[in-house]
Amino acid sequence: MPSVRLGARGVTKRFGQVIANDGVDFGAGPGSIHAIVGGNGAGKTTLMRMLQGIEQPDEGDVIINDAPARLANSSDAFRRGIGMVHQEFMLVEDLTMLENLILGAEPVMPGRLIDRKAARAAAAAAEAQAGVKLDWDIRVAQAPVHRRQILEILRLLYRGAEVLILDEPTSVLAPQQVRDLLALLRKLRQEGRTIIFISHKLDEVLAVADDITVLRAGRVVGSAKPSQTSAAKLGAMMVGEEIEFPHRTARTLAGRAPVLAVQGLAALDTRGVMRLNDIDLVVRPGEVLGVAGVVGSGQDELVAAIVGLIQPARGSVTLDGRDITTSPIAARRAAGLGYISADRSREGLCLSATIADNVIAGRHRAAPFERMGLLRPSMISAHVRQALDAFAVVRRDEADPVRSLSGGNQQRVVIARELDREPKLLIAAQPTRGVDIAGIAFIHREMLAYVERGGAVLLVSEELDELLLLSDRIVAMHHGRATGEMRGEQADIDSIGRLMLGEAA
Amino acid sequence: MSDAAARSAAGAPRFNWIAAAGVISPFVIALIVGALLLFASGRNPFEIYALMVTEGFGGVSRIAATLSAATPILMCAVATAISFRAGVFNVGVEGAFYVGGLAGAVVGFTFVALPSPVLIVAELAAGAAFGGALMTLPGFLKARLEVDEVVTTLMLNFIAINLTGFLVNTVFLAPRTGNSATPMIVQSGWLPRLMPSSTFNLGFVIALALLVAYHLWDRYAPLGFEARMTGLNARFSRAVGIDVPALIMKVMILSGLVAGLAGSVHAAGLLHRFVAGFSPGYGFTGLAIALLGRNSAIGMLLGSILFGALASAGTTIQLFSDIPIELVDVLQGTVTVFATVRLTQLTLHRRGGRS
Repeated sequence: MPSVRLGARGVTKRFGQVIANDGVDFGAGPGSIHAIVGGNGAGKTTLMRMLQGIEQPDEGDVIINDAPARLANSSDAFRRGIGMVHQEFMLVEDLTMLENLILGAEPVMPGRLIDRKAARAAAAAAEAQAGVKLDWDIRVAQAPVHRRQILEILRLLYRGAEVLILDEPTSVLAPQQVRDLLALLRKLRQEGRTIIFISHKLDEVLAVADDITVLRAGRVVGSAKPSQTSAAKLGAMMVGEEIEFPHRTARTLAGRAPVLAVQGLAALDTRGVMRLNDIDLVVRPGEVLGVAGVVGSGQDELVAAIVGLIQPARGSVTLDGRDITTSPIAARRAAGLGYISADRSREGLCLSATIADNVIAGRHRAAPFERMGLLRPSMISAHVRQALDAFAVVRRDEADPVRSLSGGNQQRVVIARELDREPKLLIAAQPTRGVDIAGIAFIHREMLAYVERGGAVLLVSEELDELLLLSDRIVAMHHGRATGEMRGEQADIDSIGRLMLGEAA
Repeated sequence: MSDAAARSAAGAPRFNWIAAAGVISPFVIALIVGALLLFASGRNPFEIYALMVTEGFGGVSRIAATLSAATPILMCAVATAISFRAGVFNVGVEGAFYVGGLAGAVVGFTFVALPSPVLIVAELAAGAAFGGALMTLPGFLKARLEVDEVVTTLMLNFIAINLTGFLVNTVFLAPRTGNSATPMIVQSGWLPRLMPSSTFNLGFVIALALLVAYHLWDRYAPLGFEARMTGLNARFSRAVGIDVPALIMKVMILSGLVAGLAGSVHAAGLLHRFVAGFSPGYGFTGLAIALLGRNSAIGMLLGSILFGALASAGTTIQLFSDIPIELVDVLQGTVTVFATVRLTQLTLHRRGGRS
């Protein structure tokens, strides 16, 4: 048996000036779980792409079964038994679970017809292997996210993968579902499979991994066994410096008139499925209301209906005493609504436009950026520079495209645009997604400072730690309904987790 | 569109070598293809290209002829670029050009008593108004019902060309003629010539002014800013409060106005009437130029002058040599292939980018 089933030796990868991986070494033995941790931009994704054969190293080698290997592409890697579960699932939503399982390697009968019986048998075998049960006859579109994830894993098993790479697999799961997933991974390890587990959630890593490799700025900065380290030590390695995290100070909010009042709001998603069912909530000035929920519980539709991106089926939205249920987006923004989109690269920013354009977009017709029907470039750049400095956006030139910034700096541009207007209400959807630890601390500080100034925040996040840290109150959602509310200081991950699954806290 | 469009209201545009290569390389490749053809038919390509350069640019009168030929192409390119900038793929400039041309000509032979400047302005205004009106239909369909504007505007071309063809053979047919032409525009309604004994007229100045206005619109007008942002990322534009359907409507109409103006300039400046087959495809040539010039003012200016030179040199060159006029078609066609590739990239990108 090889000592290293899959690994890297001195792997370096450059993209132009940027060194994404710099002499990375690691090795995952058979029958083990190897965690790769690191902040955003640490080089985890690039490393995984090389292990998958999607990218080739400039220097060094990918190691398979103790020997250097050349992987030309991902099917090459698959032939060597290496499969990956991506963050965005690669499933065909309109096919059934069973059809997705066999897609690409269908068992056939004579006459080139799909052998359904053999497919069922294969499904049963995969279930037994993993110790889970799936409903094979529903369409993937109807399956909840954690079942889809299990299907992705079973797909790899069905097709004979011995090494499974999982990219941030727990980010879409509720805490209890995370536990189930970790149990599944342990079972697969027991069967002798190798699992490479990419995550930035250190408690999960510590709970499940046999070995941990920490990446920072493309280099391996440490490796450890869970028994010999701690979340604090790993966190310090990931960041390279001590980060001061903000703390919530107790706030008194009694009796203030709400900035946002949502009443009986219901909405359909783009497929016409009812995703939001008669939800009520209130946000007052000076408070953060957190919204917790497993992916697809209706929080996206809640945000979209408040911001004005979709029309609700019924119910009302009131901003600062004004009914804005059917107002156009521009009117909502003029009335004091700010919005941090969960989809930064497609909705929150216009990546190919300049930083300056991204900062003034939406306000370009307002003084002092426009006069007598013409934009005023000098006023715009002066203001943009000031706003970017206030939010510490590291950049070369405001005329560079936003795309040239790192993820964390891109998000600061979004926050600069939204908070610079001093909105009355900030809708923050996944505000720290894809941002490194230092950036997260900064964003949290800015949001809390905004609240201290009298602002109000509706925070939707899949990071429960973030919700607990920032929220004065937390509402949990399940199947489009609010299943409970807790005061921030009384909430804990377990009770929120139960509410997120529709159980009583 | 993204790379060339990475220009800001706040910063000066940067010269983009890749974009520049994208503009020039189709012309270079076209010349190579043409050279191979000429060589294969036993001719010396260098000699013939030299002859074409002489015919296109050798001397004031030849340059004037080139610029005269470039005028409708340049205006159609600007009309196209206005909509493409916003990610609205209006391919109906050709149809609006016809409609504008007929409207201008009708005004020009009907209100013959008007003083010259008033008449000219009235012709151009009529052309622009009808061109803009034509585009309200696909604009509305796209903005409110999300009907694909590539299909509607392309089809609208047939309607516009055949409807004007019908009108010029019936109600607007010049009396006592049978050649599918309107009566001549009264001489006071002609755009003034800028050079004696040449077709070079005020139309080119109008086209240049339009190009400058387009450039300023793109950089300084809030609507130009909104168009650019929407073309790059419509979902983003919507989220920051830009009314995207209204914007689509506006750029579609603006594009039609310019295309209609182009038609009336062509009628009042060069043909002095409207005829069936009014345009040999200026709308589509302009489309190709806008695509290859990536909607930039300088790119479209150079492109239309090149195409203008090809057209004007092509017609004279066959008088003096045995080169068939088809050579010009080959050169234009090769360039257009690249423009089509570019259009396909843009529209596929848009469809792929929607979620």
